[in-house]
Amino acid sequence: MTTLSPPRAKTGAEPRFAPARMRRTVLEMAYAGSTVHIACAFSIIELVTVLYRNHLRYPGNDPRAEGRDFMVLSKGHGVMAQYACMRELGWLDDSHIKGYFKDGSELKGLSDSRIRGLEVTSGSLGHGFSVGVGIAMGLQRKGTDQKVYAIVGDGELNEGPIWEGALVAAHHRMDNLMLIVDKNGFQAMGTTDDVLELGDLSAKFSSFGFETLEVDGHDEGAVDAAIRRLWAAGPGKPKALIARTVKGKGVPFMESDNRWHYTRLNAQTFAEAINALGLSGASK
Amino acid sequence: MREAFSNALVRLALADPKVLLLTGDHGYALFDEFRKRCPDQYINAGIAEQNMVGMAAGLARVGFRPFVYGLAAFVPIRTVEQIKLDIAHDALPVVLLGDGAGFVYSHLGTSHQSTEDIACTRAIPGLEVLSPADRFEMTASMDYAYASNSPVYLRMGKSDLGDVHAGPVNALHAGALLKARAGRADRPGLIATGSMVRTAMDIAQDLDLAVWSAPLLKPLLAEEVCAAARETNGLVTLEEHSVLGGLGAAVTEITSEHQPTRVLRIGVPDRFSKHCGTYAYLLREHGLDTESVLEHVRVFCCTIASASDAAASK
Repeated sequence: MTTLSPPRAKTGAEPRFAPARMRRTVLEMAYAGSTVHIACAFSIIELVTVLYRNHLRYPGNDPRAEGRDFMVLSKGHGVMAQYACMRELGWLDDSHIKGYFKDGSELKGLSDSRIRGLEVTSGSLGHGFSVGVGIAMGLQRKGTDQKVYAIVGDGELNEGPIWEGALVAAHHRMDNLMLIVDKNGFQAMGTTDDVLELGDLSAKFSSFGFETLEVDGHDEGAVDAAIRRLWAAGPGKPKALIARTVKGKGVPFMESDNRWHYTRLNAQTFAEAINALGLSGASK
Repeated sequence: MREAFSNALVRLALADPKVLLLTGDHGYALFDEFRKRCPDQYINAGIAEQNMVGMAAGLARVGFRPFVYGLAAFVPIRTVEQIKLDIAHDALPVVLLGDGAGFVYSHLGTSHQSTEDIACTRAIPGLEVLSPADRFEMTASMDYAYASNSPVYLRMGKSDLGDVHAGPVNALHAGALLKARAGRADRPGLIATGSMVRTAMDIAQDLDLAVWSAPLLKPLLAEEVCAAARETNGLVTLEEHSVLGGLGAAVTEITSEHQPTRVLRIGVPDRFSKHCGTYAYLLREHGLDTESVLEHVRVFCCTIASASDAAASK
């Protein structure tokens, strides 16, 4: 049985967080574990990159530090993107990547709060955001400056508790909470428009009392700027960042092809996907 | 009993500022005292139970001690998945308070009646289940729930049936059965929980039966149940809950493995209420009124007696 090594600070080098490296980690895990949800992870790579590199604070590089910011992945299906960040931070090592889904291993196919570095048990959708709202309420009551980021999928917005939580966040003036919608336009069985039309998300969250911005979710600079603008604006209001993304982003044959919600890699598609990232498969 | 609940909640909240009361827009008069004395620890989360339970998990994650109140039909039943994933999976110290369990809302129909909550919560790993019978057990249960520092479901049923115990009960320990009455060793013993302990006491008078109250349905200690089974001749379980998955199930799970015993499970048959009426009326509909229970137990006493005679004559 593998166990997670204690978190250690990277010595001599800053975390690297290059999106192509992160996508390669996702592919390596998905191939090692013969698992699905690759496209769900790819759409949020730049979002988590910017969050982990520029915004999330982990005192002592400790994923459970009491004074940390909280990164709540409500769309648990994207968890491999978060694992990729944890690898960059030195919280996971190569054995976790190569041992993904081995019998007795620890990292699961959906977010699990018992893993150091993950905050919620999600994958059953519409849970993580409510837990994030509770964390934000707790931090607000404590009067700390810690922040809570909750990434939800656009498909996940079908779930009722999201909207219950949105009402509560606005009512309690939770300006330490940022909801980030991964608006990739797809859910498991089709496009969000075909399955259950979401309408104008910015207008919806604005009307719920959120300070809202829309952004290209793959433009790191724009995402970073939008996050800063949201925190600076609208005191007393929770924030919503609507990130326009592409499901499967980064590997052309996966982009907006919803089969990659459920398709597993084989030796050929793995090699093709790695090549498409423009990195050498051998170098680290 | 409700006053004991309110007093305990206020006392715990005054002693520990991390205690928060979350309600899904229920419990108006019940919380007058709490709102007056601990206004900053009172959160009406709106008619949004799923989010409320998830939020309680988040609050517990950053050090708070949430008590989450709702009608048992909603907390836990509407929110079983949030309790399982957001709270129990991480063993977070959240106390779930399900009020009006059983047939308390007799006139309102199925939506507000709750006879499956024990079964659902018992099966969730690490979740303890409490079901106090009177004001003394309520006080002890609230103290136990706070001290356990783990997820707890506290079931509150019909609350105006009077006392079972003569005075305050000792601090509860995990798995405790409280002996409420001594009785004949050659007859079945009664193990009851919540509102039905009062009924058990009433019929035990007529038949001179021993009675135990089970304020803690999970964990229920095998030693305590086996000891009750050894002291008596057969067991009867009584609960205002489905005969499936509740106290009767918990007792027979133990006896079948450790102390083979004839057990009669008295509870709500596997069906919904058919009619509208008073609480007493609905108990009759489900065979849980004192007369029906007495008759049921009397027949069981005869069955046990003739089985004992047959065994003796072999």
